[in-house]
Amino acid sequence: MRDFLRVFFSRPISLIGLVIFAAIVVIALLAPFLFVRGPFTIVGMPLLPPGAPGLLAGSDVLGRDMVVGLAYGARISLLVGITSTLCALGIGMLLGAVAGYYGGWLDDLLMRVTEFFQIIPSFVLLMVLVAFLQPSLSSTVIGIALVTWPQVARVVRGEFLSLRSREFVQAARTLGMGDARIIVTQILPNALPPIIVVSSMMVGSAILTESALSFLGLGDPNLLSWGSMIGGSRSAMWVAWWTTVLPGVAIMLTVLALNFIGDGLNDALNPRRRR
Amino acid sequence: MAEALISIRDLTVALPPGADRAHAVDGVSLDIPRNEILCIVGESGSGKSLTAHAVMGLLPRGVTASGGQILFGGADLLRQRPEAMRKLRGRDIAMIFQDPMAALNPVVNIGQQITEQIRAHRGIGEKEALQQAAGLLAEMGLKDTKSLLKSFPHQLSGGQRQRVMIAMALSLSPKLLVADEPTTALDVTTQAQILKLIKRIQSEREMSVLFITHDFGVVADMADRVAVMRQGRVVESGTTTEVLSNPTHSYTRALIAAVPTGECDLPPPPPDAVPLMAVTRLSKRFRRGGFFSGASAIAAVDNVSLTLSRGETLGIVGESGSGKSTLARCVIRLLDPDEGEILFDGADIARMGARGLRPLRRRIQMVFQDPFSSLNPRETVGDIIIAGPRAYGEDMREASRRAADIMRLVGLNPETMKRFPHEFSGGQRQRIGLARALMLKPDVLIADEPVSALDVTVQAQVLKLLDDVRQQMNLAMLFITHDMRVAAQVCHRVMVMRHGQVVESGPTREIFAAPSSDYTRALLAAIPGRGLLAAV
Repeated sequence: MRDFLRVFFSRPISLIGLVIFAAIVVIALLAPFLFVRGPFTIVGMPLLPPGAPGLLAGSDVLGRDMVVGLAYGARISLLVGITSTLCALGIGMLLGAVAGYYGGWLDDLLMRVTEFFQIIPSFVLLMVLVAFLQPSLSSTVIGIALVTWPQVARVVRGEFLSLRSREFVQAARTLGMGDARIIVTQILPNALPPIIVVSSMMVGSAILTESALSFLGLGDPNLLSWGSMIGGSRSAMWVAWWTTVLPGVAIMLTVLALNFIGDGLNDALNPRRRR
Repeated sequence: MAEALISIRDLTVALPPGADRAHAVDGVSLDIPRNEILCIVGESGSGKSLTAHAVMGLLPRGVTASGGQILFGGADLLRQRPEAMRKLRGRDIAMIFQDPMAALNPVVNIGQQITEQIRAHRGIGEKEALQQAAGLLAEMGLKDTKSLLKSFPHQLSGGQRQRVMIAMALSLSPKLLVADEPTTALDVTTQAQILKLIKRIQSEREMSVLFITHDFGVVADMADRVAVMRQGRVVESGTTTEVLSNPTHSYTRALIAAVPTGECDLPPPPPDAVPLMAVTRLSKRFRRGGFFSGASAIAAVDNVSLTLSRGETLGIVGESGSGKSTLARCVIRLLDPDEGEILFDGADIARMGARGLRPLRRRIQMVFQDPFSSLNPRETVGDIIIAGPRAYGEDMREASRRAADIMRLVGLNPETMKRFPHEFSGGQRQRIGLARALMLKPDVLIADEPVSALDVTVQAQVLKLLDDVRQQMNLAMLFITHDMRVAAQVCHRVMVMRHGQVVESGPTREIFAAPSSDYTRALLAAIPGRGLLAAV
């Protein structure tokens, strides 16, 4: 563990990533306490530039405070990013583990199902799913999880495939351990590093996907997210740059931070990089 | 003594801070004579490999030669510029490694790999280079060189790969060949062939060889001169006959004594009326190919029968690919046999389902070959050892208490239970693997090449431990090995296998005294240093 932290923090880039991400998490958590009136309250004239009295980041097309919008948007983006990744991890790890551990026809079957999801253009599938389920927070999360789990399943299956032939797994079988016990206590801990890395990056891409959905108007209409802020302000893009650029920068920073963290984890969890 | 080709003077190689000692190599002075084979012999960690790598200028990152000189043709290799060293490597000094599979590029064919070096140094055309490569392969005793040049490393056997490696090393006619344990990953019979090849090439080409090994049997076969290394220092050196017939240092004597001579002094056990385990006409086939290519089946185990009684050790001997490991994995039901029966204590377990098998599993246990992959790297040793009893619902405290006893039994300190496998040496890991198996109080212990990854001295200790444990716990042991001299140390009876079939079987002593098949005779002849060491 100490080695892990040392390698992780020896790269300035992973530290930067962690600091940015932590800051965004804190803002998201504190938003309802800092801005009790909520993001939809109109506070002044529309399209006031940043620096106008009381408006640090200006106001949007309806005269709402951009700072409040960005803070509340972080809540939705992080919520969607994290929960959809957890759902995708659940499906992907279960199917990947079963396919990799048992092999044979079960592996063939599950991998064909996985490929089925991989060959459909994922964003189109996602739009259809969300439109079909009615745009809401939960339909967004379910939709994103459904199009991203194959990635996890592939990684997990590969790890299980190589680990199940290792002698310590055979030893566990000769000791009389059941399959479930072997999968959970013997193989899974050894397969975790790549799963952690993949999932940190998946949170970033889920945030992007959510933004894209909201931009197209397929997000939850009762919630303000960074994507819907950009979508709602695109008509004002040429007269009030801050209405689109600021939420865009927020998305970029979050995704970048998560990728930095993923890179750092990749190094820190790689036993060859440790000494 | 012949004039020295390379003189190593007071070579000191520093280890990075935090290692177990300050210097991996500590003031080593050696002469590598012209036209002779110098063996450096020692256990792992003795600094023998790093000495060889220093000569090549290939020390691993973080490890530097902090003092001394390596003189070659008037120049100090330690102070050469990297470009000069690069030109030297391959042209004047070449190296072969322990694991030819890891040293060859898996996606480039053999021809290209050999010719790459020739062309880089000599600047000749591809066609000419390929011709030279074919000549080299023929010199290595390889047949059908034309198709060999077009094949990829995974299509070759271990012995062929090592021959290709040697051909590559010799492609520029170097003055010195550095061989770092080149046969440790090979079968005994293949090892004998490769050793013979290196010796022949050395005398034909009149070059020098620096040969690194941990096995005094190999030294006896190969070396003109020998240097014994321990903890970074040369404790003894001289001509091979001198050192073998009159070792002055106690460590040298211990190393020589650790080499099994292939003499068998175990009495055959009294025949048991009812064997504990009886395998009859067991077969296992592996299917290859699939949907598009025609499927073909290979009989890995073909109609094999054996019996095993309490208190006896049955050795299964054969080269890799002889089906001995497959047989063991069928007996312990890690694999499902296709035909035949395995009677264990009166019940046929050959086709038993997982549920019926579960209560029997704990009575048949296994010790695995690879001390590195056989222990879960993410579990503490204590957790590894009590995993078996825990799977059968034994109380945690009771299991931990027994684990401490078992650890003492296999010669480990119970206080190390909280540590992780990577903190232990290879020999200690095999002891952990044995402790894990013994925790379930088995009746049958299957040992699959348990010492083939270990140094000779450690081998002797682990073999003795296995034999002690067998006696104490009255175990029936199935011992799988490719090395006849190891079999001679612990097995009461041996069964020789080839291509999945039993070639011959009987009491070890009789097989060693009068082998009835050519194959067994070849296996016996392949024991390194047999004649020489026995005479000492």
